[in-house]
Amino acid sequence: MMMKWLKLILIAPALVGIILLPAFSQEDMEVVDDGGFSKKQRPPAIFRHDEHNEKAEIEDCNECHHVYEEGKKLEDESSEDQICSECHDEKGSGNTPGLRKAFHTNCKGCHLEQNKGPIMCGTCHVR
Amino acid sequence: MHSIYNFVSGPLAWLAFILFIGGCLYRLISLMVLVHRKEKFIYSYMSLKYSLRSIFRWSTPFATENMRRHPALTIVAFAFHICLILTPLFLLAHVTLIEESWNLSWWTLPEGLAEIMTLIVVAACVFFLVRRLVNPEVRYVTSVSDYILLAIVAAPFITGFLVYYQWFGYQTLLILHILSGEVMLVAIPFTRLSHMLFAPLTRAYMGSEFGGVRHARDW
Repeated sequence: MMMKWLKLILIAPALVGIILLPAFSQEDMEVVDDGGFSKKQRPPAIFRHDEHNEKAEIEDCNECHHVYEEGKKLEDESSEDQICSECHDEKGSGNTPGLRKAFHTNCKGCHLEQNKGPIMCGTCHVR
Repeated sequence: MHSIYNFVSGPLAWLAFILFIGGCLYRLISLMVLVHRKEKFIYSYMSLKYSLRSIFRWSTPFATENMRRHPALTIVAFAFHICLILTPLFLLAHVTLIEESWNLSWWTLPEGLAEIMTLIVVAACVFFLVRRLVNPEVRYVTSVSDYILLAIVAAPFITGFLVYYQWFGYQTLLILHILSGEVMLVAIPFTRLSHMLFAPLTRAYMGSEFGGVRHARDW
């Protein structure tokens, strides 16, 4: 009886971990939620990473996960190991846009350029 | 949908602002020309002191006799005008769009407060509508154009509220929201909404005459 309970206590957290972990990986990413905003004023933008890139035919990570040095994008560097707010703080400084503007430029800027993908506020920030 | 959105938020917005600013300048300049041609004598008693006194007094709630006689209208009118002007200028979504276009940004209202201020504008419009329908002396001087003007003013705020909550067809309503804002901007110089430009001048004129000529109080 005792052993049965002990097993349950050990297995339950492991099961929770197995079920929850993939939710944090890229394949199941549902929204852009960087955590860099001190106060969230809109729901995070809907974004399914793999689905988006397949549809948009994006091969290079640094298409979005860019690295800039002295105002120039470094073509063979990428930053997918970082979160956006490591460089883009809320306010922004000099040539580095603030977090909100960085997201908008990266997503909406490309959507406008390509004439594809959502550009109205509420089509990404869905309530 | 995207091409319509791009059109109403791009070229059409430019056109609306050009007509709004150009129209305001045109109305002000033609007024000055008219005064210069027909009523030059008013310059003889226009006074900066009495002008500013009158503008200040008539911008203070319950300062004048008529405001005291109609307390409900006074409260609604002041709340309406304050919210009408501040909400669109300091709305997060509006400032964000300006930041994207021109790299300019400024302080924004907390979203919850902006929502309450929007509702105040809409509620005030309902008050004005009921007042026109119910109050005999107001009804007597009301024409169809008054209802149309009220609708032009209410529309950007009603659609703005619906768009904020993304109720009933977000994309269509967003386009209607932008269009209704543009209609209102263009209507300001060319309709009786032009009191936005002329009210201070009217006050300056009346204040100067009551203060400097009649030596009467500025009712």
